[in-house]
Order: sequence, then C-alpha cells, then structure tokens
Amino acid sequence: MSVLGKKKKRAGEGIPMSSTADIAFLLLIFFLVTTTFPKDKGLALVLPEANEEVEVAQENVLHLLVQVDGTVEVKRGESESVQTVRAADVEGIWRQEFASNDRLIAAVKTHPEAEYGYMMDVLDALQSANASRISLQLLEV
Amino acid sequence: MAISGGKFQKSSKASEEIPSSSLADIAFLLLIFFMVTTVFQQDKERPIDWPEAEAAQKMDEKQKNILNIWMEQDGKVYVNDAELTMDQVTAVVTPLYVASDQKLQISIRGDRDVPYQYMDQLQQALIRGGVLRVTFAAELETNIQRERR
Repeated sequence: MSVLGKKKKRAGEGIPMSSTADIAFLLLIFFLVTTTFPKDKGLALVLPEANEEVEVAQENVLHLLVQVDGTVEVKRGESESVQTVRAADVEGIWRQEFASNDRLIAAVKTHPEAEYGYMMDVLDALQSANASRISLQLLEV
Repeated sequence: MAISGGKFQKSSKASEEIPSSSLADIAFLLLIFFMVTTVFQQDKERPIDWPEAEAAQKMDEKQKNILNIWMEQDGKVYVNDAELTMDQVTAVVTPLYVASDQKLQISIRGDRDVPYQYMDQLQQALIRGGVLRVTFAAELETNIQRERR
C-alpha cells in the first residue's frame, strides 16, 4: 500500500538572502562610526612676528650650530668653548642645561648648505626634551 | 482516501519578503549625505623624502585650516599643485590667513635633503605673510629606527 498522506519535506534550495541588507548596513554603520582619518604629524613651532626683536641675555641662550655634515656645535652663551656632538645628544644636553637655568632659549642656527633633515633632528631632540623656547636661524658663514 | 488539505488552513495575506522597496531611498540618502559632507584634499602628494621625528605630534587643527606647503629637494615650493616663488608664497598665504579668521596653520612638508637656506627663505616669506603657526611635517620615528641610525 502506498503512503499517500506523507509528503516529503523539502528544504529551500537557496541561502536565505533577506538579511544580507541588514548585515551590510550594520557593517556600513560600524565603519562609519569607527573610521578616523589619519592626521598630519609634525613638529609644531610658532615663528616670531615680523620685526619682532627681543633682547635676550647671552647667558640665557644655548647656541646649537648645525653644520653641513650634520654634527652640532654647542656653545653656551658668550663662552668661546665649543662642544661638537651628534643631534641625538642635544636632548640630554638641553635637559642638563635647562635644569640649571629655566629661562634658557635654544638658538638653532643651521648652515645654509646643511640638509633640512639635520635641523629636524635637532628640533626633534629639543622637543623630545620638552623645550618650548626655540629660535630657528640661518647660520652666518 | 486522501485528506483534502486547505480546509482549515487559511493562507496569510502578509508577504513573506522583507519590504525592500525603500532600500534604494536609504542608500541614495546616504550617498547624497556623503557627497555633500566630503571635502577632498586639494593638492596631490609630491615626491619627497619625509624627515623623521620622534616627538612628532598630530596637528590639532581642522583640515580646512591647514595649508600644505611642499618643498622639493631642489628648493622648489609648491602650494595646491602650483609652483611658487618665495614672494608669491607671501601673496598666497596672506589672504588665506585673513579668510581663515587667523586660524590658518601651515604644514611645511620639506624634503629632508633640501639645503636649509631654502627652508629659511620660506620661513621668512611666511613671517612676512603674518602666518606664525607652522608645523614641520614629519613621519613618526620609532625608537628602533633611531637606534639603527
């Protein structure tokens, strides 16, 4: 006797697609909320105003002379003694000098032919040491 | 005898499908929203070797108040894809500074091999233009890179 009352249950052949849109929108909203665009990075500095001349006592100035080969000559105030160091050493020197004189100003004088990157190394070292009073100048040769 | 089906089953009139006719509206609304709000970067990247700095910090200013000034290795200055002389830099920057309600910040994107005299000329041009807040753009340097140098 044949079984007439039983019907074979057939599962749907396709993958259910109705929730795809929900998933897509959830993903869209997730990325909308979490995306942050990369910001420019760099060493910030405030340049002096035009014709702004400030008299500074020599004892409060640390001269950093960036030479063509990237070495840095350190001169303290009016003292004639010159110490030649690498750019990376400036950080330690600044911390040391600033500890004894908190009115110190870093005068970075770069040789006209020296690469900009060398000046950046010195500026980086100074900012790493939390120096805030920095003056950029061209070295007179 | 076969059981006649459907005598007690009432088929629901509700559709089985999720209504998707408004999907296109939502998609277009989103599309239009982003088209209106998106601000594209004005200038193309120039081929420079970025200087590296450990103390590099993010520029804390809105994108519209940032002006990129590029300086290539030979000392040529580019603003918004146009090559400028130092005098033109002052002329370009001054009206932008006034228009930005004095919030304009300059991102100096200089090649690390450019002789410093050009960079000094650029700084003097900016000072003449009255723009004093500058950032020397650099890539963040890690300690490992520094050790190697």
